[in-house]
Amino acid sequence: MSINEKFTAIRKGLLEFLVLKIVSADKVYVADILKALSETEFSTQEGTLYPLLSKMRREELVDYEWKESEAGPPRKYYELTAKGREQLRETSEYWQKIVGTVKNLGD
Amino acid sequence: MNKVTTIHLNGNAFQLEESAYEALRNYLDNAARQLEGNPDRQEILADIERAIADKCRAVLGPHKTVVVSGEVETILAEVGPVQDPTEGPNETAGAGATSPGGQGGASSQSQGTGSPARRLYKIKEGAKIGGVCNGLAAYLNIDVSILRVFFAFLVFCWGFGLLLYILMLILIPVAVTPAEKAAAFGGGSPSTAGEFVRRAKQGYYEGMKTFKDKQAHREWKRRFRSEMRGWRSNFHREMRATTAEWSNCRTGAEPPPSGVGFGLTLTFLEVLGVAATLLCVYAVWSLFVHGSVFGVQLPAGVPTWMWIIILIFVCKMVTTPAKVMRWTARHGGSACGVTGGLCIALANTCIGVALMILFLWVLAHHGPEVHRVLHEAATSAHQAIDSIRDGWNKK
Repeated sequence: MSINEKFTAIRKGLLEFLVLKIVSADKVYVADILKALSETEFSTQEGTLYPLLSKMRREELVDYEWKESEAGPPRKYYELTAKGREQLRETSEYWQKIVGTVKNLGD
Repeated sequence: MNKVTTIHLNGNAFQLEESAYEALRNYLDNAARQLEGNPDRQEILADIERAIADKCRAVLGPHKTVVVSGEVETILAEVGPVQDPTEGPNETAGAGATSPGGQGGASSQSQGTGSPARRLYKIKEGAKIGGVCNGLAAYLNIDVSILRVFFAFLVFCWGFGLLLYILMLILIPVAVTPAEKAAAFGGGSPSTAGEFVRRAKQGYYEGMKTFKDKQAHREWKRRFRSEMRGWRSNFHREMRATTAEWSNCRTGAEPPPSGVGFGLTLTFLEVLGVAATLLCVYAVWSLFVHGSVFGVQLPAGVPTWMWIIILIFVCKMVTTPAKVMRWTARHGGSACGVTGGLCIALANTCIGVALMILFLWVLAHHGPEVHRVLHEAATSAHQAIDSIRDGWNKK
């Protein structure tokens, strides 16, 4: 089993955190999120991202609004809600703790 | 030249090649199935449709108005399989803590539908030929060796195994993406004891490859070899015993009956067999040249290879009883006789057909591709009957 396969579940679990981070920076639509992730290990596809965003919206972490685009039909632009920002803060802290643990253990 | 279908995705009309339309419909049906029980299902599907529409628009231009099937395949590969984040193994870890209220409805619904959707795929990893047995083993949750032996047995018994294998090789899609592979095994975690044992065994053999302790490795290999030797000698002994029994039977049996009547029967059976084979060859030839069999125009819905398989099958159905009768008449002696041989042949054919029907039934209920083909076969059978009736009335 390669490293890549071993981390499949972890990458999947972290995706929500990363989407929170990307959306926190700016109002974005799905193609922007995909592009931001495409050059990383977390490269993903619409088939995964849309269901995730819908779930996050149901949990009131993100919200979207329709915006006209210069080419083609209107698009959904996502932004964080107050609850989403809070969640991002908590997740970031927790992540720092994990990174710290990984770094310190065994040294 | 291909037929074009017009569809609307999210309020916009697109022209698609018919095969492209099939691929797209398959994908969306699959997505809808994946999202069963998800409260946002309609919205996610609309989002996906919008994304696909955007990508279709990108490949079209002022001088290109039709999306061809290769482009749709690329687009669908880009969009990727729809994965429901509210299902699967990390549901408890990820979503459970954050919103117990919102999840309640979805998870109880998905529990209502049972285990995650298991689908029939070919699995290329560790496959011997095309991954059919591998996929089927994962689907039915049994050891792949059992299935391989079963298929080999079918090939030697009636030749149906080969036919079935080729059919499945053509019809069953390959599991390419991780999601499809997961669906082939029916979800992430080993759900039954059989699957658990299968995985444990795989891990065991994997572990053996990278064995550090040389001594233990050698010991393991030695034991493995001796087991194999034992198995082989057992097999040889049994084969020898069977052969001996056969030859005893042959020499012990009464000499084959002779006479004018017997000779005539034998000749008649031989002629019948040859005639059936010739007819089959002629039918396949005319199918290729004229697109019709014995002057009957075949409906367009069913592909040519399907007709060839049906023809060979029918031919075999006719010739096998005759062949067995001939064989028993020559070698069987008076013990079973011609009628006995015919009975055995008929029983064999019936069992073969029953197995075939059973397999088709399993495939039809669990393989969407096969389901579609069978569905179309029903309509084309109606058309065939209609065309035969028309031809008859004209006469």
